[in-house]
Amino acid sequence: MRPSLILRATQHRTPLIKFIGKHNPPKTLDHTPKPHPASPTHSLPDSFKTYRSKAQQHGPLGGQGHASPFQAPTSGIMTYGRIGGTPGELLGPVEPKDGEYFDRNDLPKRFWRAQWTEEEIEAVNSGGAGLFA
Amino acid sequence: MLKTLVPRASRSLLSTKAPHLGPANLRTAPSFQIVSQNQQRRRGYASEASDYDIVFIGGGVAGYVGAIKAGQSGLKTACIEKRGTLGGTCLNVGCIPSKSLLNNSHLYHQILHDTKKRGIDVNDVKLNLAQMMKAKDESVAGLTKGVEFLFKKNKVDYIKGTGSFVDEHTIKVNLTEGGETEIKGKNIVIATGSETTPFPGLEIDEKKVITSTGAIALQEVPKKMIVIGGGIIGLEMASVWSRLGSEVTVVEFLGQIGGPGMDLDIAKQSQKLLAKQGIKFKVNTKVLKGNASGDGVKLDVEAAKGGKNETLEADVVLVAIGRRPYTDGLGIENIGIELDERKRLVIDQEYRTKIPHIRVIGDVTFGPMLAHKAEEEGVAAVEFITKGYGHVNYGAIPSVMYTHPEVAWVGQNEAELKSAGVNYKVGTFPFTANSRAKTNLETDGLVKILADAETDRILGVHIIGPNAGEMIAEGTLALEYGASSEDVARTCHAHPTLAEAFKEAAMATYSHAIHF
Repeated sequence: MRPSLILRATQHRTPLIKFIGKHNPPKTLDHTPKPHPASPTHSLPDSFKTYRSKAQQHGPLGGQGHASPFQAPTSGIMTYGRIGGTPGELLGPVEPKDGEYFDRNDLPKRFWRAQWTEEEIEAVNSGGAGLFA
Repeated sequence: MLKTLVPRASRSLLSTKAPHLGPANLRTAPSFQIVSQNQQRRRGYASEASDYDIVFIGGGVAGYVGAIKAGQSGLKTACIEKRGTLGGTCLNVGCIPSKSLLNNSHLYHQILHDTKKRGIDVNDVKLNLAQMMKAKDESVAGLTKGVEFLFKKNKVDYIKGTGSFVDEHTIKVNLTEGGETEIKGKNIVIATGSETTPFPGLEIDEKKVITSTGAIALQEVPKKMIVIGGGIIGLEMASVWSRLGSEVTVVEFLGQIGGPGMDLDIAKQSQKLLAKQGIKFKVNTKVLKGNASGDGVKLDVEAAKGGKNETLEADVVLVAIGRRPYTDGLGIENIGIELDERKRLVIDQEYRTKIPHIRVIGDVTFGPMLAHKAEEEGVAAVEFITKGYGHVNYGAIPSVMYTHPEVAWVGQNEAELKSAGVNYKVGTFPFTANSRAKTNLETDGLVKILADAETDRILGVHIIGPNAGEMIAEGTLALEYGASSEDVARTCHAHPTLAEAFKEAAMATYSHAIHF
């Protein structure tokens, strides 16, 4: 006697391995320092916390739990930062409002207009020929 | 408005509708096209404080793989290496040269002892050790130069010299060819690797008292050799020199050979097979002291379980009691990052030290000191920087001992499962029952699979036998995917192959093997 389709379907083995589609980035990332999975002590020295509370790399790294206008979200991207810890797109538009102007000198020094060098001035004045003289 | 902030050198890429912006309009002058590249670079946005997006200290397997990945990810990358060749311990004095010697010494041994029954009569077989070493050196040179080529291909700057931290972003490099330079990195990855742990009281001269580095470069076959330490490195080197004619004794402090992780059943069988090949073992034996002042080396040893003391003598003693992290001259005291009690650099789950832009990968930090683990970490560390997430599964890192027969395992062994209180089932399949092993006349060994008694999920795979090092990849994949033994057993394996033994062991785990 041949088993019915329904009976055969119920007897079909479901493998443990399942194709779950292409690998996707995790929806939330928590960058808070945690012990390394292969750490024998399963703990981190206090210095990891204290360094972050003091450090100034792209803004203070620590400070979770501090009330501040720069407080970063505690979940999602860049959880450990405050200034610089929030994605730029969440900070709102960068275009100036009508009648508002940005001053270059308010930016960090590296964005300031570079000074002309003598060589460049000479290049401009001579049409460039001076560089090959 | 913000357009005025764009460096002048780049503005030609922007719309020509730009309003009059003062002196910047001078860019249209022909002269602007010919100012030197340095001036254009000077006018770029990049802060002069960071020369590189990422700097790797150490060009071993962790460092070079990470550097290539970083180059591929578009990061401006430098790799500092002091050895003079890339590839670190693995390529230069570890995995690669030892595999060359293991393979060729096995061929020699096989020709001497294992050809007649195969119908091949060979006469006048001689060992040409110098040529065997040359073949090894050529393999190493080819591979290390290959890595250099990959650096060029992926635009990684290779800096030959010794790097040490000046501060958290600056590294001083004492260049191999003289002089020094300083480079800065927004991200710095320490990948300085490991070195052989010395044996107290025995000075390493790499002639009479040797490490694995000396063991791959001996100029003649020692008459007698003692190996202190019956782990993977010790047993591989013991195999090489035993095959080439040395009388080798392995002294191991623990009761089993193979080191941590090797399943007890497999370790016992491995010891039996290696002993059959002529290697002597003294397990449960402690080396008290050594004396290398005479022609040879004398070792005083003590049997752990009430045995008597004795003195062993040899021409060469190989110290293979383990490896320790290498941080000499790195200047970590200048940045204040922590070491644990075994001198490993302490990191978090993203390989960061307490200083978040300084990461550590490979042998110099946590986890097994294995090249493939270091490679995985090299890729993951870069992905944490570029993507925000990375992946290394420390529960699925295979180990392989390239003796003959090979031993390989991944996941947990029986002792670990017992101590964790896990209810498990075991399935084994011997190579004596495998058709390909029979035709190859290599039937020593077995495949052993451990699976959860309730879910059938594979928890560990342990293989001793021909091609175990290749076959363990299937076990690692199964473990990574969370496969059940039935999943593996129901997967079609080609016939006749050694891999069928793996399938049959999986069948034995969830039901019954067919051929045994």
